[in-house]
Amino acid sequence: MTRSLIHVGRYAHINLFLLLLLCPLGLCFSCSKKPDTGEDAKVTTLGSIEVKAQLLEIRGKIIDDPLYDYAHVMKYRILHVYRGKIDGDIIYVGHYNPAEPRSSVADARVREIGGNLRRFKATDIHRIALEVPIDDYYMGGIINKYFSESKDPIYWALWTNLVIK
Amino acid sequence: MKRYFGIFTFVVIAGISLFAGQSRADKSHHSGRYDDPRVAELAEEVCKKGWIIYGARDLKGDWDLFVMRPNGSDIHNITNTAMFNEGLPRFSPDGRRILYRRIPMGERFDNNRHGMQGELVFADSDGGNAKVYGKEGEYTWASWGPEGKRIVCMSAKGIYFVELATKKVVDRLDRRGFFQQLSWSPDGKWLCGVANSFGTGWSVARIEMATGTANAVSSMDNCTPDWFPDSLHLIFSYRPAGQGNSEYGWTQLWMADGEGKERTLVYGEDGRHVYGGAVSPDGLYVLFTGNMKEDGDASGSGAPMGLMRLSDAPTIGGQSKALRKVHGSTKDGPVLVLPDGWEPHWTYCELGTAK
Repeated sequence: MTRSLIHVGRYAHINLFLLLLLCPLGLCFSCSKKPDTGEDAKVTTLGSIEVKAQLLEIRGKIIDDPLYDYAHVMKYRILHVYRGKIDGDIIYVGHYNPAEPRSSVADARVREIGGNLRRFKATDIHRIALEVPIDDYYMGGIINKYFSESKDPIYWALWTNLVIK
Repeated sequence: MKRYFGIFTFVVIAGISLFAGQSRADKSHHSGRYDDPRVAELAEEVCKKGWIIYGARDLKGDWDLFVMRPNGSDIHNITNTAMFNEGLPRFSPDGRRILYRRIPMGERFDNNRHGMQGELVFADSDGGNAKVYGKEGEYTWASWGPEGKRIVCMSAKGIYFVELATKKVVDRLDRRGFFQQLSWSPDGKWLCGVANSFGTGWSVARIEMATGTANAVSSMDNCTPDWFPDSLHLIFSYRPAGQGNSEYGWTQLWMADGEGKERTLVYGEDGRHVYGGAVSPDGLYVLFTGNMKEDGDASGSGAPMGLMRLSDAPTIGGQSKALRKVHGSTKDGPVLVLPDGWEPHWTYCELGTAK
């Protein structure tokens, strides 16, 4: 009887190991998002430029200050140009009040803006409707940590959707 | 009996209207007694030097325009409208007219875009003959030209100059990243404002109109710039980070030459954000507001206004231990505390009609 219990206990150990190994994998598979090209009616029509681009870097801290509206300039690598013309494969894009989810960022100052992106994270891929230069479309504070190293035009993000491979 | 009742009702309503037309801060102001004899001397010195105009909430809670003597006496509500909030008044260079913006009663002034809200209005300096100029959202960030015949405005498309009599746009300039609080210099050669084009958020900068070139005067967390009468210096607000207030800092009043080479503290006080600097027409005094809340002027009820001699700069108010560590030697001159207000402006002229 004692041997039997030891026997069962040994298998239980292996079972527990398998359970611990398979559960996270199972969760990963069940939670993985469906591929999404980021295409929607807004991103394909707003602005004169539409791209798929990888967010390379968010230089500086994203400030979450409800008292001040501002655009934060972020660095992207172009992966695909759907509409319009882009020179080079690196662009600098100003996102309005980036601490806000894109779905709720529009306000009295900037009305035609949005998207499904909830949070900006370097390495993520975005599908963005753009205009250029930012000054022609946006009049407000800009935080541009690339000011001293790049004189390239700053693009203005109108609609930003997350792309999921 | 009915007739007497009608007269009684009229008197009551008139009384309520007059009372409601007062600013919220009127009642406690200008007792004529000052604890500090230096403040009493300053009040006496400035009391007959023209008029100060400012926006403030009346007792009903909406924004109106008020005028007062520079010692805080003789306060009048010069708009007292039932349907609108008024703010951002500026005297014309000859002091006979004012411009301001008005927004519907249900809308609130937004600290980030107040110069773009509502309608531009011109009136005599006593509030009479008020006329809306253009449509809602037009002639944004308007500022008087040196002769009072033109204004300069700014929109996303650029800076443009408007001849008032004809509404004709007579000139244009690239806005060079300027985005708010535009102001035309008294000599007509420069514009100052808040700009985003110098690598940091909220620079105070100027544009030379003849060449269109822009330079930063102070390039980090600045706002509300205005000109000294010499057109060579600017007064503005600046919030140096790391000086108290959980490293956020307190906004202080500073001045600088137009090239930004010499910047000096004018007034600071730990516990207050100082905004709305406006220099007197002779350049001897400065007005400002001191709000305990960041952005409290437009979204709240304004803040106590202060008046001091520029010869007393730099002055630090209160204990301000953190600020005194940074600025060891200050003059700490008298500051005349005035009623709550927002964006005050000063003329040495008497109020009256433009005709």
